[in-house]
Amino acid sequence: MADNQKKGNAFTNNPIVKAVGTQKIVVVLVLIILLAFFSAASSAFRQYSTILSIMDYTYYLAFLGIGVTFCLITGGVDLSIGTGLVCYGLIGGYLITHNNIPVIVGILVTLLVGVLMGTVNGLIVSLGGLPPFLATLCTMMIARGLGSLATSGLSVNWPPTAAENGWARMLFKIEVGGVKLPIGFIWVLLFAVIMSIVLNKTKPGRYIIAIGSNKEATRLSGVNVVKYQTLAYVFSGFFTGLAAIAYANTFQALAPGTGAGMELNAIGGAIIGGTSMSGGMGSIAGTILGVFIMSVLQTGLPNIGLQANYQQIIIGMVLILAVLVDVFKNKKLA
Amino acid sequence: MKKKLLSVLLCAAMVATMAAGCGSKEEPASTPAPETKEETTEPAADAEEEKTDESQAAGGELHFEIVSKGFQHQYWQAVLKGAEQKAAELGVTMDFVGPNSESDIADQVQMLNNAVNKKPAAIGLAALDTKAALDGIQAAMDAGIPIVGFDSGVPEAPEGAVYANCATDNYAAGELAAEKTYEAIKDRIANASGTVRIGVLSQDATGESLISRGLGFIDKIGELIIADGKTVNVVGNQKFVDDSKCTKTDGADVEIEVLVPASVDSALSATDCQTLLNKADTIAIYGSNQHSAEAMVTGDENLGKFGTGEGDVIAVGFDSGAVIKAAVKDGTFLGAITQAPVAMGEAVIQTLYDIANGKTVSDIDTGCQWYTAENMEDPEIAQNLYD
Amino acid sequence: MGEVILTMKGIDKSFPGVHALDHVDLEIRKGEVHALMGENGAGKSTLMKVLTGIYSKDEGTITYEGKEVTFSNPREAQAAGVVIVHQELNMMGHLTVAQNIFIGREIMSGGIIDDKKMNEEARKLFDKLNIDIDPTETMSRLTVGKQQMCEIAKAISHDAKVIIFDEPSAALTEAEIEELFKIIRDLREKQLGIVYISHRMDEIKVITDRVTVMRDGGYVGTLITKDCTKDDIINMMVGRVIYEDPKTESTVPKDAPVVLRVEHLNAGKMVKDVSFELHKGEILGFSGLMGAGRTETARALFGADPKESGDVYVNGEKVEIKTPQDAVRCGIGYLSEDRKRFGIVVDKTVAENSTMASLERFMKGIFINKKKEDQVSQEYVEALKTKTPGVDQLVVNLSGGNQQKVVIAKWLVRNCDILIFDEPTRGIDVGAKSEIYHLMNQLVAEGKSIIMISSEMTEILRMSDRIIVMCEGRKTGELGIEEATQERIMHAATLRN
Repeated sequence: MADNQKKGNAFTNNPIVKAVGTQKIVVVLVLIILLAFFSAASSAFRQYSTILSIMDYTYYLAFLGIGVTFCLITGGVDLSIGTGLVCYGLIGGYLITHNNIPVIVGILVTLLVGVLMGTVNGLIVSLGGLPPFLATLCTMMIARGLGSLATSGLSVNWPPTAAENGWARMLFKIEVGGVKLPIGFIWVLLFAVIMSIVLNKTKPGRYIIAIGSNKEATRLSGVNVVKYQTLAYVFSGFFTGLAAIAYANTFQALAPGTGAGMELNAIGGAIIGGTSMSGGMGSIAGTILGVFIMSVLQTGLPNIGLQANYQQIIIGMVLILAVLVDVFKNKKLA
Repeated sequence: MKKKLLSVLLCAAMVATMAAGCGSKEEPASTPAPETKEETTEPAADAEEEKTDESQAAGGELHFEIVSKGFQHQYWQAVLKGAEQKAAELGVTMDFVGPNSESDIADQVQMLNNAVNKKPAAIGLAALDTKAALDGIQAAMDAGIPIVGFDSGVPEAPEGAVYANCATDNYAAGELAAEKTYEAIKDRIANASGTVRIGVLSQDATGESLISRGLGFIDKIGELIIADGKTVNVVGNQKFVDDSKCTKTDGADVEIEVLVPASVDSALSATDCQTLLNKADTIAIYGSNQHSAEAMVTGDENLGKFGTGEGDVIAVGFDSGAVIKAAVKDGTFLGAITQAPVAMGEAVIQTLYDIANGKTVSDIDTGCQWYTAENMEDPEIAQNLYD
Repeated sequence: MGEVILTMKGIDKSFPGVHALDHVDLEIRKGEVHALMGENGAGKSTLMKVLTGIYSKDEGTITYEGKEVTFSNPREAQAAGVVIVHQELNMMGHLTVAQNIFIGREIMSGGIIDDKKMNEEARKLFDKLNIDIDPTETMSRLTVGKQQMCEIAKAISHDAKVIIFDEPSAALTEAEIEELFKIIRDLREKQLGIVYISHRMDEIKVITDRVTVMRDGGYVGTLITKDCTKDDIINMMVGRVIYEDPKTESTVPKDAPVVLRVEHLNAGKMVKDVSFELHKGEILGFSGLMGAGRTETARALFGADPKESGDVYVNGEKVEIKTPQDAVRCGIGYLSEDRKRFGIVVDKTVAENSTMASLERFMKGIFINKKKEDQVSQEYVEALKTKTPGVDQLVVNLSGGNQQKVVIAKWLVRNCDILIFDEPTRGIDVGAKSEIYHLMNQLVAEGKSIIMISSEMTEILRMSDRIIVMCEGRKTGELGIEEATQERIMHAATLRN
């Protein structure tokens, strides 16, 4: 009877390949090729500070990516994470700089606003039955407006390292003996491991995959699909909050009305990492790898002398490629 | 259907609560919130419609509409402050509005149209894009409402629409930055064995003020370099390359590289700064507004190349804010240019008032200043620096 | 047959405007397989949805294991031991077999899902049922038949006492159906009560002990299967005799011209070197098991899927068909097996659907000539005897059989002379089926030519003038209707190379 089951080739049947996944191995290879290429093409790329710059990019993109991976796995998407990042960071930062609340409270407020917006997104999608694309497109605009409203249109700087309440920046970068260390990566790894376990080894994760695979079947199996579909967006909101904190404490300045476009980098990272736009499939490790590709491109392309507009074109093309691979993969599965 | 309605209501409620929450948090803050103004606007505007003609003649309760570029940068809060002070002093009322961001050209056009419809005694306008605003400007002309430009003004406006401009001469401000930068790098250029590089960071290549600040810098520093017998080339963003006036030579002694990010994102601008810093021949970088200057501070964090000492890369910023002020103070930046936003706000209202009272008015350069660690505490300068 | 385990008495259910169930009775005993029959819309599914708590009943009582019960959702019913194996496969393709079986009741250890334990439990379950499936395999990689087995295993793992099979055999091969019956007999041995819903009369005779027949939401009667004939059941279902015998000889004249010739068609793994001819006025039956490559052949011919090689001649002329538009231009129409996905736009009107493939004929400048559209659609509604209140009716409100007629109308409006019917009567009730057959006969009599893909042997034998049999992407047999028998077709359908 085993002959009825589809067989892969020698490569895909290799136990190591099977355990890690073909796509992730390809992504790692691409990553190595990219790093090698940029190192060869630009001497500036071959220095320690490049690692710091790549990491600066990775922090917020990775957090956005981890969150949105859950939405993608349910078969949805969260477009509000880009403007959401700016909105939540603005609200938290404004309270810190203008109302003098402690930074830790500002961080908690940022996360809380993220969770609230995530819940709103989730309920509109799960309870309201709006297509995720549409629902989060609306909240994308709402987040954009809210950010401006909350700060009266002011741009906001989170406290700089030198300030007495500038400790939050040291969550991401510290200087030890004259060497700057990108310790923010510890947070990324920590949350990646936790969310990987949540996704693969707990009920919420299992049901989120199940919903993305076949929502009706999941519902008929007695699973509260409204709850778990909402949860995916709550995760996304929470991680957008984390991303806001990471962004504000690496790049300092947040300007109202901006942020649109970041979501595409994060979603792109997730898709490059093997998460499917059509749901049911995805991994946190893949997303982190995919996000790495995005940040290596963002850091590397300017170094080889490409103007901003060319960078966007190249990143756009990379995304098309990733989506094509995704579509092709789904065809094969069907 | 019920469920859908429920979730929409829920969403609306959530947004309302958040908005309310944010609104109340703002109360203790010193900055006036735009939304509180809107409430007062509506009835006032209605009343104005009947009053306009007589009030103009009587010079009594004058009302002005000010359409700014938004409040993204603290600079604009200072302009608002100056305008409010002057309005209170002269006993006139005004609505001071602006779009969410400086890329929301369409929103600003809408605001201008609304302003015209309210039939104020005169309008103050800092156009994001003159061409897009042409219809509104024409409507104001047809309704006989005078316009006064401020900040970057209303360049290339139709004849007779704009009575006067109250603006920083951005081109001159860029020139000032170039002069100060050149003083610091003159010797390095003279002694350089190979090509050296001067970086220019601009938030965009569409706003007139940023273009002027960039071109003023490029043209002036090019002129100074050529005067000392060296050659110059301009590379990077095509708009700046095409519009800069200095004589360009391939393989020149000094290369001026202009970088403009694809969108307004601190991360992108910080990367641009790092790209420049990563080039071994870069000796100076100039950031032409608060966004670019702040991105320079962030970008340098990983590399630590800015400074005023031997071999350091010279950094020159524009505008103020806590981050830039700190960078100037600790010597990361050589210095920065500040405009006089408070004076500008005052000048706009004064000019509008003069027009309404039938006086002839002329352009006012509200000026700019060079500040460094040494002089930034001077009261004359400190009043124009904000956090 | 043992004691009564479940009784539904006087079940009544109304939806706005529809009296879906009119005091229906049903009694299930331990150790019996009880067929529930009726045309589509007779109320079988509604009755089962009331039983398992998806719908609430308006009137009546359900007695289960001696106690009156009302399940308020499928989960409660499941917990009590009443489970349903759905017609549509309810699987999550991306999860493993074991993860599917235990969805909603994962085995946990310390807050973490214990996949290893779940795999073991699933393996035990399969062993008990004599099913050979690897619990760690991803669901979507199994064949449809295996997926169905998993569904059944999942149902049984709930400690089921009553299992409802809702058209379980629809997508199974003959061999898989045999396997399914083995399992069902095994469950009957274990004294479970089994409800078996199916349209296939042959299966009912083979596997069930009693038959309850419903018609128009009402209860008609219950029979002992072995004491009644197919005709008895059908008569109860439709209230009239309509069963017809197989065709005995071809109705195509010997000298009828060839309208379509396909030579050495290759497309993917499922279409390998397929050649055939279609004559004017002929119904050419395509028989074979699920996955034999018949639909794939049709789709490649129609240009819906890319083909690797092969020539197509229409009326003797070689044509290039690369897209469905090309095919339509050549006068070929394709009626998909999956009506809802590919055949009709359900939330559009009858008229809009009818003219969809030939809209250019109904244009007046840049506007659609609504009057002409309605008029032509009305002609076809009358010609095909489509039951609809009017051409402005939304197609979603029509029954399956009438939806199929709208699809046929669409291609007739387009003036297609070659029609490919892919499973034309799937999901259509007995009465409507016979009308579709009648219509097909009428079409060929008018000079159209039909390729009919069907998985129902009786349908093939009854309608075809000639039969092509496929197996694993190859043509393995070609039989004139005079020489065709079930056995010969099955023989060809299992010929492997």
